[in-house]
Amino acid sequence: MKTIIEPFKIKMVEPIQLTTPQQREDLISAAHYNPFLLSAEDVIIDLLTDSGTSAMSADAWAAMMRGDESYAGARSWYRFRDTVKDIFGFEQIIPTHQGRAAEHILFSIMVQPDSIVPNNTHFDTTRANIEFCGGRALDIPCAEADDLDSDYPFKGNIDLVALEKIVAEEGPDRIPLIMVTVTNNSGGGQPVSMANIREISRIAKRAGIPFYIDACRFAENAHFIKLREEGYKNTPTIDIAREMFNYADGCTMSAKKDAFANIGGFLCTNDASLAQQERNLLILTEGFPTYGGLAGRDLDAIAVGLREILDENYLDYRLISTRYVVQHLREAGIPVVAPAGGHAVYLDAKRFLPHIEPVQYPGQSLAVELYREAGIRGVEIGSVMFGVDPHSGEERAARLELVRLAIPRRVYTQSHMDYVLEGINLVWERRDDIRGMRILRAPKFLRHFTAEFDWI
Amino acid sequence: MNTLDIDKRTWAEPYKIKMVELLRMTTRKEREEAIQEAGYNTFLTRSKDVYIDLLTDSGTGAMSDRQWAGLMLGDEAYAGSENFYHLEAVIREYYGYKHLVPTHQGRGAENLMSQIMIKAGDHVPGNMYFTTTRLHQELAGGAFVDVIVDEAHDPESTFQFKGNVDITKLDRLVKEVGAKRVPYVSLEGNVNMAGGQPFSMANLKDLHAYCRKHGIPIMLDATRTIENAWFIREREDGYAKKSVREILREICDLTDGCTMSAKKDALVNIGGFFACNDEALYRQAQNLVVVYEGLHTYGGLAGRDMEAMAQGIREAVMEEHQAARIGQVHYLGEKLADAGIPIVLPIGSHAIFIDAKRFLPHIDQDDYPAQALAAELYIESGIRTMERGNVSAGRDPKTGMNRRPPLELVRLTIPRRVYTQAHMDVVADSVIDVYKRRDTIRGLKMVYEPEYLRFFQARFTPLT
Repeated sequence: MKTIIEPFKIKMVEPIQLTTPQQREDLISAAHYNPFLLSAEDVIIDLLTDSGTSAMSADAWAAMMRGDESYAGARSWYRFRDTVKDIFGFEQIIPTHQGRAAEHILFSIMVQPDSIVPNNTHFDTTRANIEFCGGRALDIPCAEADDLDSDYPFKGNIDLVALEKIVAEEGPDRIPLIMVTVTNNSGGGQPVSMANIREISRIAKRAGIPFYIDACRFAENAHFIKLREEGYKNTPTIDIAREMFNYADGCTMSAKKDAFANIGGFLCTNDASLAQQERNLLILTEGFPTYGGLAGRDLDAIAVGLREILDENYLDYRLISTRYVVQHLREAGIPVVAPAGGHAVYLDAKRFLPHIEPVQYPGQSLAVELYREAGIRGVEIGSVMFGVDPHSGEERAARLELVRLAIPRRVYTQSHMDYVLEGINLVWERRDDIRGMRILRAPKFLRHFTAEFDWI
Repeated sequence: MNTLDIDKRTWAEPYKIKMVELLRMTTRKEREEAIQEAGYNTFLTRSKDVYIDLLTDSGTGAMSDRQWAGLMLGDEAYAGSENFYHLEAVIREYYGYKHLVPTHQGRGAENLMSQIMIKAGDHVPGNMYFTTTRLHQELAGGAFVDVIVDEAHDPESTFQFKGNVDITKLDRLVKEVGAKRVPYVSLEGNVNMAGGQPFSMANLKDLHAYCRKHGIPIMLDATRTIENAWFIREREDGYAKKSVREILREICDLTDGCTMSAKKDALVNIGGFFACNDEALYRQAQNLVVVYEGLHTYGGLAGRDMEAMAQGIREAVMEEHQAARIGQVHYLGEKLADAGIPIVLPIGSHAIFIDAKRFLPHIDQDDYPAQALAAELYIESGIRTMERGNVSAGRDPKTGMNRRPPLELVRLTIPRRVYTQAHMDVVADSVIDVYKRRDTIRGLKMVYEPEYLRFFQARFTPLT
């Protein structure tokens, strides 16, 4: 059989409320043209994020019922810890309420006001957390990442030449850690190759700099390695994941992605004294070290989710169903980041709306139009998200102007995706009439979440 | 028979049991090994080795079938989840604050509020410290100033409202540093460290009048304010006929905002919030919450947990719930008091506090008598309790010395709707047995001391 089907069936459903174009016009205007400010019930297909929006399995729900809600030393904690240790391999495991809290704790300890943290591409909260601590978040993606049409298999790779250069110039005093995000979310959900990870590790070790993996979508990345990288075809994906982490000194993880959880995250390291400092901070802002701000049931759900995510039948289905959408868009001539990533489809707003300047936020316009047309909610990843220089506060064009349509895990069917394709096509047909946007009001950090817009 | 009268013996639970969690029995030898492995710190024992877990009432309550049903209604959309709007409506209805910012738990809300409202050099008066609250205030550059009535520090005083603010102490501070250096008054309901003691409405009205005159906001620590409302109803003139719901609203209307750990009153396993009436303050909290917690419509909580919280608040304000809740705590407390065990009086709402200074008068406070007693109770019968004394109080940042607080207590915290009367009998018998052999108990020496909130992770060895 060639057809890849979902390796699951549906056990529980959530009704979708349909809206009319006129209703959507009123709703998006009331939300100040920021999809983040829409009520979820007013959205037909919610592709805002794949974070925390997955469908849990019957097993994970059953595990939730076993949640041990004891404040200290709960059974749920030990089940969670043992699973994380088995897959990620690190000695010290620190649970947090979600990924950004893990980042916050890590950077609060490691990042100083003049620090530089290189990464293939920092994601929004990662960047904000580093900048919040006064450091500089440096993006050094490989050159292939800039060509959105190229089918290069590992566009998530870091630019090793640039990394060596910055490490040689600045050294371990100014570079407290080197990160790599798997898969590279802001760069189109593109994977990082094992060869690249190995080299980063080598560079980091030689310079005495700790190497951390932002592990949100580690399973998708590991499976891409299996499918695309020489020598891994016959290696179980779980062992590829283990090898990835074996090269690193620690990781941050949002369990809301590749653990199917609706909430949760963790921070890992092999450095016991660093972990002690991290736990001291954890207690202050998160919770006691054996629950980290999570209910016991959520620790259990994560433990189950981490096992399920590494099921290769699931990962085949996941990667192929994302590719399905990308292929259809490319066939229709719609500009989209190629090749297909793991968790999302990225429309290239620069080429979709070439008549709109970056500072007039073509990605925001496109996201708003997708909602008006079909009730689809996506997110701008461009000059709204990354367009303010943290030091000068000035507006600058981002490297890419994308609209991300993130696909929640195990939630939507192929018919839903066909509907999304039709919606995008309808907007594409009337693209010349779409105007740019301006910002009316925005906060200093992470402005895309709450900024208010209007048409130009 | 008036089942709402908690002086009566009949505080029978207004619920029956729908799901159970099995307990494991251990031997004394197993417990001796377990507590040694845990460095004589009950926080470091494993829940599987615990028989009756009275470590905390935080997040350990039993949810109702309706709350579990609410979990199934979780709308896990990243932005604009239905559960958020539901929770916002419930908080407006019951607490009355205009603006809601959810957080993953109470300390998340404290972190936001402290960072936004406190400037370096500020003084934050409060009706007794709480561990995490004070640390957040200090890290934001403020200094905590205790303005609780003196009775609160006397475990033997039977004053009915030991949670009251001493307005004279507050006024002294305001005169000394000026109202501008007092960003808010931190007011806790059912003051935890004082033994779960309530403030009176009369005191809050006086405080409100004083603060209005000086332009100082009152920020409520709403964690156990519904339980405080119950005590006002029981003890204060003019409130016997009012509902807990009305009293809660009256309290909130006299304050400007709150932080909340929903893991207590609101009957959930996880969750908290910051709420306020001031639009500008709300905007700041909304901007900061995304850095630490999550987008402002989920604040680091799963949608389902916001739904469970909304339902939990509805159940918490029911008189029959509070009657059974507080009735059970008083049942245990009276049993201990009748046996001559020194406990903090009057009995509070969420816990029994054993006075370790009088229980173990032969142990010096710097040998941590409350910590030693908590360890001993665990060894005796597998009951897990918590030290609330010299270890919890930590060191004075200026002198570096132990703070040696007036109260050296062991807290037996009763989770909501979890344990039965028979469990309470086991607890009482165990405490009484340990009391009989109290002279054999030795103090402890701290061998590992973390930088912040040392009580969570400190390790000890017995003194020889």
